Amino acid sequence: MAGQSITPPPYPEGDALQGQIANRHRRGALWRSLFLAATILAILALIALLYNVVNQSFGLVAVQNDVEPEALVRTFFNDEMLNASNTLASEDDDELVAALMENPYAIGFFGFAYYRENSDALRALSINGIEPNAETAENGRYPLARPLFIYSAQNIIRQNPAVSLFTNFYLTHVDDVIEEVGYFSAGSGNIAAARQSWIQADGIELVPGQWAAINPAESGGQVQVIGSSTVYPLTQFMADKMKEAGFAGQIEIEVVGTTAGLRALCNDSTADIANASRAIKPVEFEACRSIGRLPVEMRVGTDALAIVVSQANTFLTDVTDDELREIFTTAETWNEVNPDWPAEPIQRYIPGADSGTLDFFTEVIFDEELRDLPKDTLVEILAATISTGLGRRLEREQRFYADRLVFEDPALWEEVCASEAPPAGCTLGERSSYDVYELVLERVVNPDVKLSWALYDSLFRRSEIELQAQRQYPNAHIEFRAWLTPDFIVSPQSSTPEFAGVRTAILGTLWVVFITILFSFPIGTAAAIYLEEYAGDNRLNRLFQTNINNLAGVPSIIYGMLGLAIFVRALEAFTSGAIFGQVEADTTANGRTIVSAGLTLGLLILPLIIINAQEAIRAVPSSLRQASYGIGATKWQTVWYHVLPNALPGILTGTILALSRAIGETAPLVVVGASTFITLDPDGPFSKFTVLPIQIYQWTSRPQAEFRNIAAAAILVLLTLLLTLNATAVLLRNRYSKQLT
Amino acid sequence: MGSNVAVEPGDVGDAGVASALNLRKKRRLGEMLIQGFLFISGALSIFTTIGIVYILTTESLAFFTQPLWENTNRRLVVDISPAANTFEISTSGKPIFPGQTVRIGNELMDVLSVEGALITVERGFQGSAIEAHRAGLDLFRSNRVTILETLTKTRWEPQLGNFGLWPLILATLMTSVIGMLVALPLGLASAIYLSEYASHRARSILKPILEVLAGVPTVVYGYFALTFMTPLLRNIFGDQVQIFNTASAGIVIGILIVPLVSSMSEDALHAVPNSLRQAAYGLGATKLETALKVVLPAALSGIAAAFVVAISRAIGETMVVAIAAGAGPKNFTIGQDPWLGFVFNPFIAAETMTGHIVRISGGDLSYDSIDYNSIFAIGLMLFLMTLGLNILSQRIVRRFREVYE
Repeated sequence: MAGQSITPPPYPEGDALQGQIANRHRRGALWRSLFLAATILAILALIALLYNVVNQSFGLVAVQNDVEPEALVRTFFNDEMLNASNTLASEDDDELVAALMENPYAIGFFGFAYYRENSDALRALSINGIEPNAETAENGRYPLARPLFIYSAQNIIRQNPAVSLFTNFYLTHVDDVIEEVGYFSAGSGNIAAARQSWIQADGIELVPGQWAAINPAESGGQVQVIGSSTVYPLTQFMADKMKEAGFAGQIEIEVVGTTAGLRALCNDSTADIANASRAIKPVEFEACRSIGRLPVEMRVGTDALAIVVSQANTFLTDVTDDELREIFTTAETWNEVNPDWPAEPIQRYIPGADSGTLDFFTEVIFDEELRDLPKDTLVEILAATISTGLGRRLEREQRFYADRLVFEDPALWEEVCASEAPPAGCTLGERSSYDVYELVLERVVNPDVKLSWALYDSLFRRSEIELQAQRQYPNAHIEFRAWLTPDFIVSPQSSTPEFAGVRTAILGTLWVVFITILFSFPIGTAAAIYLEEYAGDNRLNRLFQTNINNLAGVPSIIYGMLGLAIFVRALEAFTSGAIFGQVEADTTANGRTIVSAGLTLGLLILPLIIINAQEAIRAVPSSLRQASYGIGATKWQTVWYHVLPNALPGILTGTILALSRAIGETAPLVVVGASTFITLDPDGPFSKFTVLPIQIYQWTSRPQAEFRNIAAAAILVLLTLLLTLNATAVLLRNRYSKQLT
Repeated sequence: MGSNVAVEPGDVGDAGVASALNLRKKRRLGEMLIQGFLFISGALSIFTTIGIVYILTTESLAFFTQPLWENTNRRLVVDISPAANTFEISTSGKPIFPGQTVRIGNELMDVLSVEGALITVERGFQGSAIEAHRAGLDLFRSNRVTILETLTKTRWEPQLGNFGLWPLILATLMTSVIGMLVALPLGLASAIYLSEYASHRARSILKPILEVLAGVPTVVYGYFALTFMTPLLRNIFGDQVQIFNTASAGIVIGILIVPLVSSMSEDALHAVPNSLRQAAYGLGATKLETALKVVLPAALSGIAAAFVVAISRAIGETMVVAIAAGAGPKNFTIGQDPWLGFVFNPFIAAETMTGHIVRISGGDLSYDSIDYNSIFAIGLMLFLMTLGLNILSQRIVRRFREVYE
């Protein structure tokens, strides 16, 4: 080599060679991992896509109701009790006591304090075997008892000496006076705990005996107390005591309810102390802390109701809550409730509707859901809220009762039903109780999703979410919501995302696909047979083939424009159903119907079906054909009896894959004119339509976040549908390929 | 075989029997009918193509011939009666020429002559109703959209009579180019991996996943772009990224095309005979060198075809851009709007050709309106672009194919 004129670079040897080889291997490994990374990245995209859809389909929502369902239930049972026979309702407890005393067959309830004042003439019953006394009330075993709290905040206690003084005074003396006000003590343990938190909040060094040494006279200032009506008398009493002891400042107490009181303390900073007849919720606690007010909880007492009968009563010592429900509502005589009891009429004495006592009793004893209310009540609730016009519309859709009308005038109803196109309500059966419940939910409770969060945030940032909701929508409650529910699949389209469903879209998709397959499967297969079995190798047939390949590459939206110009516009008489006399049902479609959509998609997937079918036919061994010709079969006999049966699984697989393409197509149908909003199910090939992808597109285009959520849920439905179809195709293919081998 | 056909072996040579056996092909009416139906089915695709071309062309022609009323800002100076043929109009404003059609209110007039402020017309032109008109009414002159105008103007504002296609074309190019930047490297690399590196087992897992990716409807990708990609971009690049932007739409288009590029390229790589690889190994090439320097060049025509088809697919992609790219053309004025900061800024909303068609036809579209006809003109443009690319791809395959037999 050395002697030649052109010298190639010396071939590396020894270490240089080893180095070069190692280098090349390293480079190889690097690129290999790059290639692998690219593949994995593509797959990650799929995972991200699915994750995103699932993430948006489930999650927390902040729901604000127009009317709380609990309030509806409570009102219902309050009315039940107030309207029961032989019932006296009075705000004046003395009146109740006086009436109860005399009658051995009377029963009633009121605050425990009043019972105790009159315990010589009255007797309190135990509930479910639990006697009402200080102990059972305090530890919560007695069902008609609840704790009473006052709440303040650490910085308020430290900065406002009046508040510090008042709470200190409150905790020191509450146990001495609480029975005077009519409540039970909170228990020494609870009071001690409350003191402990007060001390911690105030940050003072505890000097022995200091509790006794409070001198209200040494201080003045302003204390604003807001909250529960139940705690109010106690706090008022304590405030009066404080003034008596010489306190020079002002203590103002307002009654707004527990929730509003805590909001005043934690959100609006308008209160120094909140009266509460329940414990603070974690959300409220967070809200307080987020504005720099660390809540200090002080339990000050226990409220209890007594179920009382006269001392003259001989048969009652204990009742269950089931019995209580009957006694205070439907039962007329005692033996209706329990056969062992006398057949005497029940006399009922209960507090009036304005008192919190009745509400408390109802909440505890009638612990039911809105949907469990009787149908009559639900209809009443509905009738009380919605307009008569809406009621009539609902009644025409479906009657509430088979035997009577709620909103419609009977004479008008007869007339409407006798007309040529009677509404569905004339023939359909009555609405079920659950149907009415759903109407009440939609029209009366009207839950409005104010905010919604994705699944990931819901799982890992729950406290922040609750805080945000509490701040922006204090009346809303947080709940976990799956947007994809059975209801979502069977409900029609609606303008409120909470009640919208994909039923119309699913039916539309099925109809459109039905037309598509009806059109494209026979024609596609026929074209494939022609091209594979009949067509000679001439210019025309080559043109056919090239043309089909090109059509497969035309953007789908172009097909939409073709469909718009040909099917919707030029063939309107056919696609609107006019020439079949079908048009009167749906005059606004103007050719923008299921048929137009189906045919458009049919044209769109025709090239795919042809190409797939051609491959399937080509795969049939030609020995089969030759054998068939050999025994004298004609060309068509050969194709029909030998080629097609063998190619059929392949053709079907291709068709299913093409159909799944058609199901996912959106753009051509937008152009052809899918309806933007329809709630009526399509009833034939000439009706207006919407399909799943269109629905997804429209929901995605809305600015409100909840529509994104239902779009994600609809995507899950669509993907499930497609996955099922594709799995069928794959199974078919596998089975077929096994047969061949 | 138990046949009762009375043909004895000895009879074959018999002249009488031979004449009875007519060996010519029989004419069978049923078969001919069937064949006719099969032929028509095969020919239907031709009709589809003809239909597409015909519809797009005629409606586009209507777009270019439909009168478009433009306010001349010239007003009637006096009230005119139905009989007046010559009247005075204000002199400022846009010029009017004889032979033009003008409109006052709902009445069309054919301009016969214009002398300064005096105009002579034929009233009630094209069957419009002749009416009296009050002073102060505006004169409209009819304009036509010209092809030159659509290809030179840079604003698409149908209400203002501006029909420049460039904003739409540029937006389409932006999303397509961004999509290609994502799809080509990813698709090709994964094709090389699947074809040259992956074990049989890995292939049997990875390929179906890519197929699933290809089967996801485009509207789902649109949702993905809007609710995942855009927030991601905003996290990375901050608020300069608008809610609707071409970057996010383009990236997602890229993702959606990866399976197409990958599977077509892989087919091409797969078709390269093994002897080439073995020869390369025999010369001491590493796997990478074999793949990049031997197999890849050999499969180049197939890969190039895949790229071209991918571009055509990106241009025609509709739902992703309709959802995520923006709902209004990004009009610009050359010399005024910065090229990089605005015209080619991928973080700004822009409407592509397909996005525009979907938005316009999503409303209640009345036939023969300028909007209706304009989407067909855009459609024609789109069709020609994609058809050209598809034909190009087939040419590439045919001309540059390396045949190893």
